[in-house]
Amino acid sequence: MPKVWSWTLFRYGAAIVAGGCVGLLYGRLTLGLLSVALGLLVWQLYNLYRLERWLAAGQITEIPDGNGVWPPVFAKIQFIKGKAKRRGKRFRKLVKELRASTEAFPDGGVILNGHHEIVNYNQAARVMLGLKNRRDRGQRIENLLRYPDFVDYLNSPAERQAVEIPSPAGGESWLSCRLIPYGPDQMLLLIRDVSQRVKIERIRRDFVANASHELRSPLTVIMGYLDTLADDELFPESWKEPVNVMQEQAVRMSRLVEDLLQLSGLESGQSVSKGNVVDVGNIVTSARKEALALPEHPGSIGVEITSTANLLGEESELQSVVSNLVANAVRYTPADGEVTISWTVDADGGHLAVQDTGIGISEEDISRVTERFYRTDGGRTRQRGGTGLGLAIVKHALRRHDADLEIRSSLGQGSTFVCHFPRDRLTLS
Amino acid sequence: MESESFSHHISRRFNAELEHLRSEVLRMGGLVEQHLDTAVEAIISGDSDLGLRVSNDDHKINKLEVDIDEECRKLLATRMPAAADLRLIVTVIKTITDLERVGDEASKIGYLASHLATGRTQHAAYSELKALGEHVQEMLHDALDAFSRMDVDDALAVIEEDKLVDEEYDQISRQCISLMMEDSRTIRRFMDVSWVARALERIGDHAKNIAEYVVYLVHGRDIRHTEREAVIQELEAAKSDRPVSG
Repeated sequence: MPKVWSWTLFRYGAAIVAGGCVGLLYGRLTLGLLSVALGLLVWQLYNLYRLERWLAAGQITEIPDGNGVWPPVFAKIQFIKGKAKRRGKRFRKLVKELRASTEAFPDGGVILNGHHEIVNYNQAARVMLGLKNRRDRGQRIENLLRYPDFVDYLNSPAERQAVEIPSPAGGESWLSCRLIPYGPDQMLLLIRDVSQRVKIERIRRDFVANASHELRSPLTVIMGYLDTLADDELFPESWKEPVNVMQEQAVRMSRLVEDLLQLSGLESGQSVSKGNVVDVGNIVTSARKEALALPEHPGSIGVEITSTANLLGEESELQSVVSNLVANAVRYTPADGEVTISWTVDADGGHLAVQDTGIGISEEDISRVTERFYRTDGGRTRQRGGTGLGLAIVKHALRRHDADLEIRSSLGQGSTFVCHFPRDRLTLS
Repeated sequence: MESESFSHHISRRFNAELEHLRSEVLRMGGLVEQHLDTAVEAIISGDSDLGLRVSNDDHKINKLEVDIDEECRKLLATRMPAAADLRLIVTVIKTITDLERVGDEASKIGYLASHLATGRTQHAAYSELKALGEHVQEMLHDALDAFSRMDVDDALAVIEEDKLVDEEYDQISRQCISLMMEDSRTIRRFMDVSWVARALERIGDHAKNIAEYVVYLVHGRDIRHTEREAVIQELEAAKSDRPVSG
């Protein structure tokens, strides 16, 4: 037991004994004890009162003096208070540093709660989103960032990595927004300025479109003269062959230009509207007819349509998807092979598959075949015709219809290209 | 945190419903804004596909208008709101009508853009049209921002902007008239251009209307068809005796 306590106990005991003695002296023991007890009680109450006053006054005042157990109690409280104060100071400094560092962050950050209400944001976010200090705290983010794309992303962030929106602060700038959930009902919205990238992408797209367009007219002139030369009876026989080759190459080049133009058109657009109904049977049959018109084609091109559902979208683009897939399959399938086009609908949506028994694609090539001009093996495949843009066109046209392209293949086993269309792109009867 | 004027309801459901209503209006606003952006883009870039897409894509906005209207009716019938809540619902009903009209005008612009684009030559009055388009986009954006922030100052700024838009519109139509007189073969074209300018000017008016509803929503004063000075005076007076809220 600490010394101060034994000393206090001893003093209290002594006071009670003294009170008892005085009481006995006058023959009133109870009264003596009672008055001592009362005195002690008043003394404690007084000290308690001082403690309360001192605490209420805050930290400025001196520690009250006293005796007995009270001074150490006061001292300990003082010590705890001091520690809390120092800790608070340290904590405030830390928060300040943290805030300064988030302010210095070049990317915008907005903290959102479960209702998408703005809790806090840094300086970069304020500038990029055109937020108003203080007033916009507590405002729902979608009330200020109203782009339909962004609102969709906010409501189902799992579906996409990030979304790009034009800056609400105006101008030509574009922002990439990414939601990162953390903790219960908390989200961090990260905003990056991607104007530069968007701009470069647009310049590239415009360049390809313009260049292809410009190439078209000289090509038409060349092809015109070549046609005349080929038909000219007086033209020396020895020149026939070179002219034919030139003609072939000119046709190839014009196909290339057409494909490039088509691709740049597909690249620039967003989702196509669901206003038009496209008859799947029609586009499949006409793709089959085209394939059968090719000089070399496999013996059998089968069609299996198990559903009457049709697609919602742009007919010319969907036609080009099927035609390109079929032409591709035909090109890599030997004459005794088989190509099958099928259309099925299940709970996940519509599936348009083109299956062949051709040479197949090796695993490492599968992920790359939809790249522009990618050839699984240079020299050989070039002779099979085709521009090297077919699958890229397919990929982009499908993306515009919210559809995915799945490629299943292994070398020597043939390949299957499946287009998966979501249910809301189908007309279900 | 709900906005201050309707945050203290005993029924938390009602609060949530009002907050949802506000968000729906702003969602519709976002859709309309995007619609207008695309339409202006179609005019500026001469992209006929883009223009046609805008003119065919109006149905989403119309559907939202019908849905929000229905929601307002339900709230009026079941909650019998008063004061600020009633003002919010009245404001919403009026705002969505204006927003829907903006959508219609944007579709019209999209349709005209698909016409204008087939000409291929870049028209005179083009840069003016671009400036007017951007101006009107900004107005609509600011009006909707003022609505979501319930900010009267911003709303008043939008109302003031409308005068500039009207001037720009006058300028474009004068220019069109003189160009048409110079060369009568261009009449058809410039008729289209002036229709586009007209549609943009109308959108400016709708944005102004929305801003006026915001003033009504916050202060309970109807400032339509009032001179600006009178409005400001009245609002100063209104600050001292604010209408009953909540």
